[in-house]
Amino acid sequence: MTALEIGIASFPALMALIFLRVPIGLAMFLVGLVGLVWVTDGTQVAFARLKNETYTTFSSYSLTIVPMFLLMGHFATLGGMSNALFKAAEGWLGHKRGGVAMASIGACAGFGAICGSSLATAATMGRVALPELKQYGYAGGFSTATLAAGGTLGILIPPSVVLVIYAILTEQNIAKLFLAAFIPGILAAVGYVIAISIYVRLYPESAGTRPPVPYAERFAALLQVWPVLLVFSLVVGGIYLGWFTPTEGAAVGAFGTGVIAFFNGGLTRATLADSFIVTARSTAMIFFIVLGAGFYNGFLALTQVPQELSNYVVSQGFSPWVVLALILCFYLIFGCLMDSLSMILLTIPIFFPVISAMDFNLISLTAMQAEAAMDVLNSGVPEGMGAEMLASIQEAIATGTELTREQMKELGIRVTRGMANRIEAEHVAIWFGILVLIVVEVGLITPPVGMNLFIINAMDRSTRMIETYKAVLFFVASDIIRVIILVAFPAITLFLLPG
Amino acid sequence: MHKLMMGLARTLAIIGGIVLSALILLTCVSILGRLLNGVFHSDFMESIAPGFSRWAISMGVGPVNGDFELVEAGVAFAIFCFLPLCQITAGHASVDILTNSFPKGVNRFLRMVIEIVFAAVLILIAWKLFDGMISKRQYGETTFLLQFPIWWAYALSFVASLAAAVVGLYMAGVRIYEFFTGRILVWDGMEAGH
Repeated sequence: MTALEIGIASFPALMALIFLRVPIGLAMFLVGLVGLVWVTDGTQVAFARLKNETYTTFSSYSLTIVPMFLLMGHFATLGGMSNALFKAAEGWLGHKRGGVAMASIGACAGFGAICGSSLATAATMGRVALPELKQYGYAGGFSTATLAAGGTLGILIPPSVVLVIYAILTEQNIAKLFLAAFIPGILAAVGYVIAISIYVRLYPESAGTRPPVPYAERFAALLQVWPVLLVFSLVVGGIYLGWFTPTEGAAVGAFGTGVIAFFNGGLTRATLADSFIVTARSTAMIFFIVLGAGFYNGFLALTQVPQELSNYVVSQGFSPWVVLALILCFYLIFGCLMDSLSMILLTIPIFFPVISAMDFNLISLTAMQAEAAMDVLNSGVPEGMGAEMLASIQEAIATGTELTREQMKELGIRVTRGMANRIEAEHVAIWFGILVLIVVEVGLITPPVGMNLFIINAMDRSTRMIETYKAVLFFVASDIIRVIILVAFPAITLFLLPG
Repeated sequence: MHKLMMGLARTLAIIGGIVLSALILLTCVSILGRLLNGVFHSDFMESIAPGFSRWAISMGVGPVNGDFELVEAGVAFAIFCFLPLCQITAGHASVDILTNSFPKGVNRFLRMVIEIVFAAVLILIAWKLFDGMISKRQYGETTFLLQFPIWWAYALSFVASLAAAVVGLYMAGVRIYEFFTGRILVWDGMEAGH
């Protein structure tokens, strides 16, 4: 077998192992190891890599974010922030039809802003909100579905552990990815609220009502939310403004939430040890997958499979939009079976080169040039520019043709095709990352095996799984509509990015 | 035996957590130092309190030198410390949609094989990490800023990886016992709730 054939054959082998319930990290590690030994004819290369790879993977400075964000999420819960968020949202929305469910979504979005994980958000908010929903007469399946969907906001709204991994895999800027995730995250929350209002209109008996609370109480509840706002703006704002790196931001966030939890009396020796234990378990799980994926992807790169695949797709001349749609559908289906992190680590090294090789035309060179030229001309025609030159520039802008080097020199601007291509590549990478993140997350709430559904359903024994399945379809529909919108209008994701 | 192993895993996880917290504090101190250093270097402070500013800077108000080298070395150790707990609580992510429909005996068999292979991999990792440590020591590699020998960090991680290998072996033993007796000692993550 040639190296390329071994590389291709490794994929079904890996899938078989994973479906035989081999832990995903271990499966990737094994296939990578065996493949490497096979391709390089001996254990020498593979073992030489292993000497340093475990240490360098575990000591990665950017990955340090992961345990820090996980710890931050636990501290936030201990500090009563999940409670405070729910109380505030419930005070303002609870009296509306379906309002307590909407409040749960709002609280999940708020908690997502200080927690980087979907399962943790679902579990935390489930504990807070499920009893209240029940108390106000909300149907079981409707309540569990709402919280399962709300949990996915934990990973859409920055900070997000999966985005950090994506950024490292594709060598993108973490701060920019966080920024790009912001509006899609808000849209997700809005979409879920719309799904709730449609649901309660169709099934009015599934939601109870209660009288509104006085405004004084509402403002008092809102005031309790300040720690969340403080931590979120410090972490995300600080990273964005360049005060600190994302890793440092995570440290600040963990420290800040820890201090708040301590002063709220939530942080004792016992709860601290508990948060270490829970953080340890998820961190080890994540890092073992990262290690296995690193090993597998190293082997795959050696066999040239990713390059060959992207060459093949480009040579077939498929429309980039069709390719994108196919990849997203793939994620939607596999996202139902596998957790999002494993999915991304497993597939991004294969799909990302394909997407990068496609031309989506997100950035137009002529538009960039015209914008720069207009900036100059609006503040007055540069000295010494002839009338003829001015007319030719204006004509080029009006007809949307590329400016010549001479014209740009006269204007004192420099916008080249290389610059446009660089920005295009970055925008495509960020946009694709957000889209993948969303579709993978949809998998978490898609029946029959979405992880969030299990977690929430396990908390409410009186609700049958089938009822959760029925109600969650409304949220899945809202997700799919959102993905279509974000694919059709890349600007929604990209316009917050600095130019 | 289970108590002993669980105790080992939990202790290591807590040690790892303490190291992680120390790194968080270190990073925050470093950021604070950097910000203050910027303040003391600013024109404003230079003009209103030049002596104090110079004193503060000479006292070492600034980012912690080589902080990220410490973070890297520390976090590697912490994560190796986390591994045994994940192992003993069967916390690794896996896909059980297909195997759920298999007979119980088949599942027990699969689990035994997987856990034995996992133990072998953990031993391989510890062994190779040891080799890596030896070669770092031979070449006398040090970090860039703090100049501490890299093999120290490897050595720390190696100790923790050894514990992971021991716990891995123990879990393999547990699964072998479960296969032959049919009594389940350690439930998997998802099963625990059912």
